[in-house]
Amino acid sequence: MIEALQDAWDAVAGWIFETLVQPALFAAGLMEWAEDAFDWIGFVMFGGLQVVVVYLICRPLEAWRPVEPREDGRSIRTDILYTMLTRLGLLPLIAFVVFASVQARISGMVAESGWIPPTLEMLFPVLREWPLLALLVYVVVIDFGEYWRHRFQHMFGWWWALHAIHHAQRQMTFWTDDRNHILDDMIGAVWTGGLALLIGVPPGQFPLIVILLRVAEALSHANVRLSFGRVGEWLVVSPRFHRLHHGVLGSGETGKNYAVIFPVWDWIFRTGDFRRDVFPRTGDPELPEDMATGGWLRQQWAGLRRMGAALVKAR
Amino acid sequence: MRLSRRQALSLLPGLALAPRAAGAQGGTTPAASPAGDLVFVLNSGEANILVLDAATREEKRRIPVLREVHHLVMTPDGSTLLVGDSGANEMLFLNPLTGELIKREPLSNPYHLGFSPDGRFLCITSLRRDQVDIYAWDGSALTLVKRHSLPDMPSHLAFRPDGKVVYVTLQGNNLLAAISLEGNFDHLWSMEIGPEPAGVMWNRGKLLVGIMGSDYIAVADPETQAVERRIVTARGAHALFWNLKGDTIYATSRVDSRITTIDPETLTVTRSLKVPGGPDDISFDPQGRLWVTQRWIAKVAVVDFEAGKVESIRAGRSPHGIFYASAQALRAPATN
Ligand SMILES: [Zn+2]
Ligand SMILES: [Zn+2]
Repeated sequence: MIEALQDAWDAVAGWIFETLVQPALFAAGLMEWAEDAFDWIGFVMFGGLQVVVVYLICRPLEAWRPVEPREDGRSIRTDILYTMLTRLGLLPLIAFVVFASVQARISGMVAESGWIPPTLEMLFPVLREWPLLALLVYVVVIDFGEYWRHRFQHMFGWWWALHAIHHAQRQMTFWTDDRNHILDDMIGAVWTGGLALLIGVPPGQFPLIVILLRVAEALSHANVRLSFGRVGEWLVVSPRFHRLHHGVLGSGETGKNYAVIFPVWDWIFRTGDFRRDVFPRTGDPELPEDMATGGWLRQQWAGLRRMGAALVKAR
Repeated sequence: MRLSRRQALSLLPGLALAPRAAGAQGGTTPAASPAGDLVFVLNSGEANILVLDAATREEKRRIPVLREVHHLVMTPDGSTLLVGDSGANEMLFLNPLTGELIKREPLSNPYHLGFSPDGRFLCITSLRRDQVDIYAWDGSALTLVKRHSLPDMPSHLAFRPDGKVVYVTLQGNNLLAAISLEGNFDHLWSMEIGPEPAGVMWNRGKLLVGIMGSDYIAVADPETQAVERRIVTARGAHALFWNLKGDTIYATSRVDSRITTIDPETLTVTRSLKVPGGPDDISFDPQGRLWVTQRWIAKVAVVDFEAGKVESIRAGRSPHGIFYASAQALRAPATN
């Protein structure tokens, strides 16, 4: 059964590559990117699968016990556009084109220095025998990095100007997860890339875990009155936990609940709010209307302008 | 039939650079592969090495690796298989008879790799880092002796039979570069070769280069550094391989998904066969069949070229490097 699914998946990827992508690369004189393009197809197909799985899990939950009525279809559609751009690989494609040569130069410099970047498995050899455990340790370390990136997004004025787009949404749904400024996404990529230099890139052979993490992140934004209970609230970020971070009073510099997957960071650094019955309204009245209900382009532009203003003010 | 160790070692692809009769070709009907032979397939997209039983064509085991394995090479004494895990920055040392892991060593981004014919150097090209590394090999350990920064996108490599020069294709700027394996390991020269060059091979004083951005193999003279001739094969010309007898060159083409044979004497195309799924690396079995990774369809093809027969076996995502380990060849006593 699993083998048949895998075969079908591989056949589709191969077909797309050989009939659509490779001939185009050949015609354009870009055959040196063929292997990257093939990986890309896998990425896009996997991104599509993630969107479908997230939808199938989150949408029924939102219909079951919504926190608030779905009134603003237009801004939900904007968030859907964000998700498509991120998951179907358009934004990562731009980032790849922008960063490919920079990345080659940096890894060349690293090799030149004689330093061989380690992996967690190299540092802790026991992880070699337990690849699944290795992946989980990676997830914990990366999530720790994400907690601090998120803290900084709220701490620095210029960074908050970008992250504010994520918080401006008053009609928050599971689609809101990918609502970010492109520049913010790119900073995120550099952040993760830097971390990868220190601990290696996490192993990629567990797609199911990756999908589970995706579902957890999307679900944390879902419009559903759901907390994970006395114990669960301390284990994984719930819709209740993250909605509080998006609450009108929670945004800006005095926020709570920054964790992305594991709430334990908020507990350690004393930024957690574990009251299980609080489901505030979301959004931030101080932000311009463009950021809340404008289209994709309008939001991106507003973010850039605000960042420029914040940088000028800081000087 | 017994092979001397020297003959036996010539069966190993990494050492088949100097053509030499191996006398391993059977009759007209291809026999089954000998029991005990293993085929190593590097599944670059799913972090494992698939070990196939060549006789039954069934999966024997999967060796988990950390990240991304692409290419492999046999040590000059035929005792150890080196597999580069580029994503994990480590080199794996495997026993080719059993598939057992002997050791691993941290090593910067091992991607394409090849031993010089005299066995003294291991050269590694790194497409992404724009670097070519030269390691000295003392029979058991690798020591970095030179690191060349060589833009853009150094890809495949080939050696001059005397082991004094290594040639590298630079995919990003259409060049073929020559690097000395003597003295200061200097970069000797670079020449224009054709759009997106990939595989390169030494043949009778000339260099043959697969021109992936087009449909031909360029024939270059390293003395004059001029392209003398173009052998048209099929679109997306990629890698080049000697058969075991050393009397035929096999060239893969990725866009048209073909394998073409070339007569090394006349440099003319003799045959061409459709092998679906982007044929990438080839390894030969003692019967002369080709074991080919079908990169885009997650399979390995066993190709009887004479009969025009292609059979596919399930492998894993994005299979890249492949190695047919003939137990007889590897166990043969050193008689000369
Ligand atoms: Zn936030
Ligand atoms: Zn959020």
